[in-house]
Amino acid sequence: MGLFILRRVGVMLLTALCLTFIVFLLTNLEPNLEKLAKNQANNRMSDEQVVTWLDSRGYLDPMPIKYARWLGLAPAFTREEGGEVVFSRCATPGVDPADAPSFCGVLQGSWGFSTVFKADVLAILAERGWQTAKLMFFVMLVMVPGALILGVLAGMKEGSKLDRSLSTVSIATTATPEYVSGVIFIAVFASSAVGLRWFKGTATSAMENITFENFTLPVLTIALYGMGYIARMTRASMTEVMTAQYIRTARLKGVAFKTIVLRHALRNALIAPFTVIMLQFPWLLNGVVIVETLFNYKGFGWTLVQAAGNNDIDLLLGVSIISVVVVLVTQLISDIGYVFLNPRIRMA
Amino acid sequence: MTKHDPNLAEGIHPGAVMFADEHKRGLMDRREFLTRATALGVSIPAAYAMIGATPAKADAHMQQGGTVRMQMEVRALKDPRTFDWTQMSYVAAGWLEYLVEYNSDGSFRGMLLDSWETNDDATVYTLKVRPGVTWNNGDPFTAEHVAFNFARWAEADAEGNSMAARVTSIVDPETNMAAEGAIEVVDDLTVRLNLLQPDITLIPGIADYPAHVIHPDQDPTDLLGQQLGTGPYLSESHEVGVKSVLVRNTDHDWWGYDAGWGAALDRIEYVDYGTDPSAWLAAAESEEVDAIYENVGEYVDIFDSIGWAKSEVVTGSTIVIRPNQQTEVNGMRPYEDKRVRQALVMACDNSVLLELGYAGQGVDAINCHVGPVHPEFDDTAERLPYDPARALELLQEAGMADFEHELFSIDDDWRRNTTDAVAAQLRDAGIPVKRTILPGSTFWNDWTKYPFSSTNWNHRPLGTQVLGLAYKSGVAWNEFGWSNAEFDALLAEANAIADADTRREVMGKIERIVIEEGVTIQPYWRSLFRHYREGVVGIDMHIAYLPQMYKWGLAA
Repeated sequence: MGLFILRRVGVMLLTALCLTFIVFLLTNLEPNLEKLAKNQANNRMSDEQVVTWLDSRGYLDPMPIKYARWLGLAPAFTREEGGEVVFSRCATPGVDPADAPSFCGVLQGSWGFSTVFKADVLAILAERGWQTAKLMFFVMLVMVPGALILGVLAGMKEGSKLDRSLSTVSIATTATPEYVSGVIFIAVFASSAVGLRWFKGTATSAMENITFENFTLPVLTIALYGMGYIARMTRASMTEVMTAQYIRTARLKGVAFKTIVLRHALRNALIAPFTVIMLQFPWLLNGVVIVETLFNYKGFGWTLVQAAGNNDIDLLLGVSIISVVVVLVTQLISDIGYVFLNPRIRMA
Repeated sequence: MTKHDPNLAEGIHPGAVMFADEHKRGLMDRREFLTRATALGVSIPAAYAMIGATPAKADAHMQQGGTVRMQMEVRALKDPRTFDWTQMSYVAAGWLEYLVEYNSDGSFRGMLLDSWETNDDATVYTLKVRPGVTWNNGDPFTAEHVAFNFARWAEADAEGNSMAARVTSIVDPETNMAAEGAIEVVDDLTVRLNLLQPDITLIPGIADYPAHVIHPDQDPTDLLGQQLGTGPYLSESHEVGVKSVLVRNTDHDWWGYDAGWGAALDRIEYVDYGTDPSAWLAAAESEEVDAIYENVGEYVDIFDSIGWAKSEVVTGSTIVIRPNQQTEVNGMRPYEDKRVRQALVMACDNSVLLELGYAGQGVDAINCHVGPVHPEFDDTAERLPYDPARALELLQEAGMADFEHELFSIDDDWRRNTTDAVAAQLRDAGIPVKRTILPGSTFWNDWTKYPFSSTNWNHRPLGTQVLGLAYKSGVAWNEFGWSNAEFDALLAEANAIADADTRREVMGKIERIVIEEGVTIQPYWRSLFRHYREGVVGIDMHIAYLPQMYKWGLAA
């Protein structure tokens, strides 16, 4: 097991390295740098000013050197005037460029400085990640039990009225993308147009204080989308288990239906949905982009949109590292969990 | 604060007396009179008194204290002279004030300046510093500080310093710094500016939003870290894209309290809801904000319908849909030919563009980028006639009838809609058009270079200002690719005439050249809107988006 985890960590590092290099290449393309300069200095500045701006901040150096600097393998860009260091990429606001350390990369624990937010990338990711974690927690709280109950109930008796109606509900929720359901929810439950002002159509205040009013709609919007999918998986798994030999034996022995479902079928039926639920985490990380933007909830997804829209190089790199870590860690948990749930794999 | 002598005959600029006379004879409306008289250094009460009127006073029933939350984009701060978004000033103006304030009625009022005088040909400005003003670190505010700021603004080589363009008349073109002797500290409370050439736009220029006055000890790149200023508020927190909070600085004796300038609120919160108006509406309906920064398009009616109060101001903000005369398309310059440009203008009915593009919220314009809000506007100039049939004929004459125009615009609400409407009208006239819509983040990369595209322009107090920024030969923002020696000469002439009536004669010629040359389709002047919930007072939309938070309050 130890070796397995170690190998996974190795793969994770390699993936992160490749991915960040691709992100780095794309964000450092010339038009993107021009966009960055105009965002930072002045929207309406001339081409010559753009070049000076970029050059005096080290953006025009060769790509491998810049990437090595970001990693912390090469000394950071500095500009000297008359023998004195007047600019250093390592100098945070308020620090004299001459006193700044010469290396400041990921290896030194510095993830860089966001050009949009004017703050340390790690600090931003921690704060925004925490906001998204809160959202995800509530989504999981609603989605997972809801989906399992729906799926198990539907899968107990394939083809029954209960199965048909629950399946229809699950397909409908999964078939409705968030940007449709979110807008419908806001229109129906939050605007004065319909008059049902039960909830708030924005989750901005939830960043400081989560209430039933401001968090219900965003949580429901994400949860419903994922819920139908997991419910369908659970249902398929459940119906399969219900036709297995040992269930039939149990029924012939006269065991109560309730006991059969709870004691014998459930555990086996949960193996497939477990993987799917774990897959939901990385997917949620992207799924929140729409909902966070729609409800103005400033989390990880919103940060990604801002970073991409403004070509915030360091922040985008930080976002990609986090994404890689989340994907691979959840897959690791899913693989390990699978072993515990499925005795056949454990034996082998 | 020193009060102006009610005896009007003394100390009043002779030009202002002449304007007052003209106003009384009905030759000039009140806005125009106020703009001109106050730009010459006459105080607002005195100006009103000269024409026997009383200033419209804001509702006095304002309570001391309270919080106002406004929807607004929260942007990162930087050196104030490089500010390119007024939203930045809405934060920084809490503690960094201006020398002069510009008001929606067209008047100028001294803030950190108590008063100013101009000589007859607008080459010498004598600025009187408001006595008794202190910085929040205890230093008295003096003429030295004013001189320091003018010198800073004059640094034309500083990256992104847009103030240099506003004070060009004191910039030495050799050194790109303030010219020797241009800024003269006479005594503790007096600064004299000796301009290199006559300039009537100086006072309007230093009343603009990047003209925050900073302390010489202030590191301009670290405004939030130091917060050295003269104003009534301080920033408590500032999270880009999320939220920014100003709180009243109780340790600082702000000059404005004694002068009766307000600053009644204890706390101002700006909450960022992004750029989508539907999110602002959701915020308003959730009672998470008390006011929105600016309202646009169909949302003006929607906010009316939810019972919020509306503030409207007609401005010089506008859009231009212009061909670029220099840009090459497939190896030729399609818009070099005057007939092609005229055809584009003639194919468009400006009132239709206003209706479809901006929901009719404004007034029609005549394609010359000078309008009724400007004091020197010559209203006898007329646009090229709206005549789609003639437009097509002109194109046929130029051999360009089959040319497919590619029309670019940014992807937003009103700018996109207006540009769409232009494309539709051109097609109705039989002119082939391809529309290209670019996202905001890429649009600005090449905004001056598109062959045919639309751009928005903000309001400026004087008609000559945008012309100088965007239409003069070779200037950085000349997106029209236009170069006309006669126009340049007339503009320079106009900029040296302090008297707006004489200037109007020159302006009339300028307007006719711009129209005749078909430089641009400039279809309408926008009204700007702000909505706020009942109970908030003094938060009216400003004609130039200036941050005047000291006027805000809650009803008692």
